[in-house]
Amino acid sequence: MRIWAITPWEWFFRFRTRRDGEIQVPFTFQSKGVAMSQEIVFRMGVPIVNASGQEVGTLEKLVFLETEKKITEIVVRDLSGLRRVPLTQVRDITPHSIRLTSSGSLADFPMFDTSQFEEVPLWFYPPDYRIEVGSLMTLKPQDIRLLGESEALSRRDFMAKSTALVATMIGISLVVPIGGYVLAAAKTKLSEHWVTLPVTLDKLPVDEPVAHTFNAVSVSGWMRVPVVRTVWLIRHTGSSDPISEPEDLKLDLDSSLEKKFSSPFLTVFSPVCPHLGCSPQWFADQKLFICPCHHSIYKLNGKRIGGPAPRPMDTLPVRLGKDGSIHILYEEFQVGVPQKIRLS
Amino acid sequence: MKKTVEDSRLMRYLDERIRIRALLSFLLDEPMPGGARWAYVFGSMVFFALIMQFVTGVMLAFYYGGTPDHAWDSVNYIDHLRYNSLDVGRLIRGLHYWGASMMVILVGVHLLQVFLWGAYKRPREIMWLVGIVLLGLTMTAAFTGYLLPWDERAYWGTIVGTNMIGLVPVIGPLLKSVIRGGTGLGALTLSHFFTIHTMVLPSLFILFVVFHLVIFRRVGPAGPFRGTPPTLEAQKEFFYPRQVLMDALGMLAVFVIIAGLAVVFPPGLEALANPANSSYNPTPAWYFDWIFELLKMIRPEILGVLGLPALIGIVLIVLPFVDKKPERSPFKRPLAVLATLLVLGAMAGLSVAAEAGYKKLVVLDQRSVLKGKVLFEQSGCLGCHTVMGKGGKIGPDLSEEGLVGHSANWLEVQFVDSSKHFPDSPMPKFSYLKPEQLHDLAQYVSSLGRTGWPDPTK
Repeated sequence: MRIWAITPWEWFFRFRTRRDGEIQVPFTFQSKGVAMSQEIVFRMGVPIVNASGQEVGTLEKLVFLETEKKITEIVVRDLSGLRRVPLTQVRDITPHSIRLTSSGSLADFPMFDTSQFEEVPLWFYPPDYRIEVGSLMTLKPQDIRLLGESEALSRRDFMAKSTALVATMIGISLVVPIGGYVLAAAKTKLSEHWVTLPVTLDKLPVDEPVAHTFNAVSVSGWMRVPVVRTVWLIRHTGSSDPISEPEDLKLDLDSSLEKKFSSPFLTVFSPVCPHLGCSPQWFADQKLFICPCHHSIYKLNGKRIGGPAPRPMDTLPVRLGKDGSIHILYEEFQVGVPQKIRLS
Repeated sequence: MKKTVEDSRLMRYLDERIRIRALLSFLLDEPMPGGARWAYVFGSMVFFALIMQFVTGVMLAFYYGGTPDHAWDSVNYIDHLRYNSLDVGRLIRGLHYWGASMMVILVGVHLLQVFLWGAYKRPREIMWLVGIVLLGLTMTAAFTGYLLPWDERAYWGTIVGTNMIGLVPVIGPLLKSVIRGGTGLGALTLSHFFTIHTMVLPSLFILFVVFHLVIFRRVGPAGPFRGTPPTLEAQKEFFYPRQVLMDALGMLAVFVIIAGLAVVFPPGLEALANPANSSYNPTPAWYFDWIFELLKMIRPEILGVLGLPALIGIVLIVLPFVDKKPERSPFKRPLAVLATLLVLGAMAGLSVAAEAGYKKLVVLDQRSVLKGKVLFEQSGCLGCHTVMGKGGKIGPDLSEEGLVGHSANWLEVQFVDSSKHFPDSPMPKFSYLKPEQLHDLAQYVSSLGRTGWPDPTK
């Protein structure tokens, strides 16, 4: 029942250590010229005893030289940390203890620096070795330098890099189309859909804005939705009265489309406030457009005289028919900027 | 763990906060007795195909409209979606379409490999059962996804499929009307199928894949079918890095195949679903071909409809409980291998027979189709025939003529002398047309109902 109380990876490690605490290495062990060709058992945690019979530490790891396929050192854990003891200093190895040739403490032996060693998996070794990874390290960098390769990539590193490369290739091959896909509908195609308003010029009062609705179709991707839109219509007498000339034209914010299709007899304003998109209302008593949201104030010709609006009210292209019919092109502009940038 | 991984500052940061080194070690240092093998890559390949389906499916859902009046339009829109002249919509749709087929194949291959390696035997019976559930989920996903474009193929294929469900005794008619959301296929059917396909099934997939993987780590990989425990232990490798690399290469192969198919064979769209079209020949998706053919041979139908899937399901489910012999090598299980070969051979043979029985549609050549279109308009065909709502009412509506399955030869004869097919036909004889004109015209007529849809992005 205890097993279920611990996290999966602790369970994994515990089992590993408990089950595989033994390492059996069938190789020839030489110590002081005495060859012992029998199976040597290195057991994790076994006490290391010096020549005087004192226990100086416990066995933690083995150091394996890959090129020579030999265990060259043992790593002992004592009170100061991990120390490396060459196998030449070992007199005797039994499953219960390891005896050293020297007496005294391990203070003369070098510390074991994990950054200089690399754990290697089993398939590095010949099949006869039954060695557990985790207790065995290989002296990789020096080893390869012994062989003369200074910038060698270990097999592990090559595999790791290859895996990363494959993952990156797949990732990029997916991210590029997906990125394009997501961005594909962002830009609306600019089209020229002229709408005929159901009112003629002569029915409009002079120099007084009238909000007029018309039916339009909004295209959203694959769907065409009927919508009702409004525009402000202001009829002028046509004489060059400063009050009637739209501010847009004066400040040269208009695109070629608006300049081409404009008329001194009719100004058409978009109902969208250029500040943040609310709808300015006409107040006849004050002769001003006032936006209810943030109080941008515009005069009859769209000129800003107060409030946070960055540009005057936007004029829309208009075509007048010979019979007085009014055709407009409904455009939408980017709000919040001083330039008149058409979005749709 | 690698030296470089240990030293990295990011790893140290994450290790302090989420103990990532222990987590990565758990995931990557999975012991595999017997070592890394190429035979083990199929599970990861299925998983990768599933992730591809999730990702491309979510992308499709960004632009899909799930009602009968808009589904076809939205899929047509996706097919024409372009980013700086790159056909991204068609590509994503192709990846999802071919990804589905690949996933069915890979699930089959993975099942086969697990079966042949005897990895369903004790103690892995529960893992096998979870895998069978995943197989069922895969086929359900394929079935529900098929309806979503709401074209003729989707509509009629689902009519037949749900009719089959209705043949189940006792609960069949109720089940059918629940799935359909009524009597015929309509808006409710589409929303049912869309929800099942995009919400219910992905949740179940995630749940059961997690079960599958957790059980796999708890019980351990089965490993090779040969070798004693000591030798296997001696050959033990860890998941990282070799098997991870093999798995990654397998996934790359899956991706390349799916992407290649998506680019070369885009899925296409047939005409909008028309419930009144009584002359349409529904054909199932290729992975249901063998059942389709088998059902023709089994009488009464209910035996084939209910009996067959039930039989397969029962065989697969009881397999680990019936086969108690611990022997795992396929070389020592001749009965298992023979049964596998028989079943595979039968499925392949039935599928081939089914495909041979389908009316083959004419292979289209785009340039010829365009020339034929011009010729069609010039020859005055619209005087008697209607195409896409325009034209006369004397001859039949040709809007979906390409789906009927007439051969190019039949069409050319029809143009030149229609009385050979219909003795009382008032259709004039267009014998003045040159052979290549007849070819182009036949190509155009064969394209009607299959392709050439207007571009909604313009």
